[in-house]
Amino acid sequence: MKPLPAVVALLALLQGRVSSATAQSAQDDGRWTMPGKNYAATRYSGLNQLTPQNVQRLKPVWSFSTGVLRGHEGQPLVVNNTMYVVTPYPNVLYAFDLTKPDYPLTWTYRPNVAPNPLDIACCDAINRGAFYADGKIVYNLLDGHTVAIDAASGREIWNVKVADLADGETTPMAPLVVRDRVIVGPSGGEFGIYGWAKGLDLATGKLVWTARNAGSDSATLTRPGVFKSFYDKGPNLGLTTWEKDTWKTAGAPVWGWLSYDAALDLVYFGVGNPGPWNPEQRAGDNKWSNSVLARRPGDGALVWAYQFTPHDNWDYDSNAEMILADLTVNSRPRKVLVHFDKNGFAYTLDRTNGEVLVAEPFVSLNWATRIDRATGRPVLDSSKFTGASRGNVKYICPSLEGGKSPVSAAAFSPRTNLFYVSTVNLCMDYHAEVKARIRGTPFIGASTPYVAGPGGHMGEFIAWDAASGKKIWGIKERYPVWSGVVVTAGDIAFYGTLDGWLKAVNARTGEPLWKFKVGSGVVGAPITYRGPDGRQYVAVYAGIGGDWSLISGDLNADDPSDVRDPADFISDLARYTTQGGMVWIFAL
Amino acid sequence: MDFRAVRTIIAGALVALAACSDRRPETAGDGVARQSSSTPAPLAVRYSQHIAAGGAPAPGDSLRNPYDGDQKSATEGEKLFSSMNCDGCHGGGAVGFVGPSLSDGRWRYGGSDGAIFQSIHSGRPKGMPAFGGLLSPEIIWKLVTYLQSLPVPKSVPTQAW
Repeated sequence: MKPLPAVVALLALLQGRVSSATAQSAQDDGRWTMPGKNYAATRYSGLNQLTPQNVQRLKPVWSFSTGVLRGHEGQPLVVNNTMYVVTPYPNVLYAFDLTKPDYPLTWTYRPNVAPNPLDIACCDAINRGAFYADGKIVYNLLDGHTVAIDAASGREIWNVKVADLADGETTPMAPLVVRDRVIVGPSGGEFGIYGWAKGLDLATGKLVWTARNAGSDSATLTRPGVFKSFYDKGPNLGLTTWEKDTWKTAGAPVWGWLSYDAALDLVYFGVGNPGPWNPEQRAGDNKWSNSVLARRPGDGALVWAYQFTPHDNWDYDSNAEMILADLTVNSRPRKVLVHFDKNGFAYTLDRTNGEVLVAEPFVSLNWATRIDRATGRPVLDSSKFTGASRGNVKYICPSLEGGKSPVSAAAFSPRTNLFYVSTVNLCMDYHAEVKARIRGTPFIGASTPYVAGPGGHMGEFIAWDAASGKKIWGIKERYPVWSGVVVTAGDIAFYGTLDGWLKAVNARTGEPLWKFKVGSGVVGAPITYRGPDGRQYVAVYAGIGGDWSLISGDLNADDPSDVRDPADFISDLARYTTQGGMVWIFAL
Repeated sequence: MDFRAVRTIIAGALVALAACSDRRPETAGDGVARQSSSTPAPLAVRYSQHIAAGGAPAPGDSLRNPYDGDQKSATEGEKLFSSMNCDGCHGGGAVGFVGPSLSDGRWRYGGSDGAIFQSIHSGRPKGMPAFGGLLSPEIIWKLVTYLQSLPVPKSVPTQAW
């Protein structure tokens, strides 16, 4: 029999928790089983122990060095009283026992992953996390393999090759699992890959379907009677919108976040940029680059598609998350999909067919004036067109880092009906040149130096009303804000900064409430969960990387043979942070 | 399409090479074997960073850049650095991007003639593709000449604000 005082204390704690819990908290299972918290990818937790009144007392209770220096994007999973952490390359999977003091490792899985993608993966040798389903932890290794690991034992259940490194494909994205289907896609928009999504069998890893993001209807799994887009109609749009056979090196990668609507049985994901960056080498709309695709998970069939940036001139990938919400738009309840595109517009779409309901700029932009809702197309400013024949086109906003990075997944609170978004305020020059594709080498062809956008700050954390297309409040940050976001039923939003702070703000007012220096810049996404002791915890990765370890130049300290000057626009970031992967856990 | 495009690029590079073939730099009188246009790359290249067990170097060749210091070759190499998409990973001006900087005077796999040649010809394990199946030794040497022509910045080790 355990000592009586402990039992009494535990009961008191549980009673306290239950009595203070709202209905929403009771509904939340306290776990974090997939990257976006739920299939709607809201990154909203019903836990409410942390409030604007007590969050000032939040303190670190545990930390762990991952032993890896590359960019720590993504987020841990918490399920079965275990925290699962996937590191950047070499993609180690750690399982921490949350029921024991000090959270010791239950097991560690160390895959045999090839080093070749280290300097191929753009940008940085990152990993965006795992997915828990059916007792398995499913994730991608950077070298083009997908693995399923037994969540209890750490044993490898299957390990299959899905992508081809020799063609420039790498696999840092987090899979989505729906029923018995694992959906994965490649990076490689800078290598002229022929982009795709694949559906694997959850039990075996066996390939069930491959859906190309360009090419003929048979390649894109587009079938008459099934494909019903609001704007785009007709056969072979993935073929006819490309000059000659340029679709074969379309780029059009899938490296962002996926979401799923069970009622419609549709998986949503964004497609990245077309290749090369010189648009004059690929006349046409270049569908379905820079688009959202709605596919049936079972057979991959394309149900609808919408292209945010036709004939991309600016590397405006659309890999950012598609957050599913039910909002009242123009006095009508709508099933919407909300997307903050690299191109600087926030889109509120009808998620049954892709109709644009609202599309407004959420950052300063000048490449287009507005989105025409009748056609769904942007109204362009021709002075910002790029191409090898146009030389150096000056001051295009936003930069190709995006008004928001697709890396930094936003959050949605059904309590405030607001979206919480990490944004980037950079502009760029764009000097394109003609490039030939040589398999296995980059297919880019543009020089694109950045400068801070209007106002001089490089980032802002904002709250956005997607029903009206308006910013409600914003917190300016010196550097681009590049972390994911979590928002809670206690009306707290958490985000991180490149100079290494984890911050908590009031989700209703934007008032800063708390911050802690986690040691290295935050490019991952904070999560919150209920521990085995019933308390609410917050976890986040520290470990700057991604684009910032490449373009800031001087952040990396682990390779003495690679010394770079800082980038002009961000010359002092290395004063505040270097690389270094850590997992942090916080509690009251 | 890939193959056709690559052949076109290589044809262009070879034309450029032929145009300057009458300006080959002279052979240095150092007794080191030269890479000639018809000679394949050696199986192994020695460079100074290698540590030899017992002080006995393993069998291997030393290579010397036949265009060492030749400005025209460096200019051709600069064009090749773009047309072979080297800049896509190493950045314009070789200042570093996804791949390491090649303009900082520091070398992950050695900076001697033969070491740089070997890196381009046979590739390196962290993602550097092997170009030896695509490019002749002459063309690779032009790239080496370009990289060696880049001015090494002063005061590299210290960064102060």
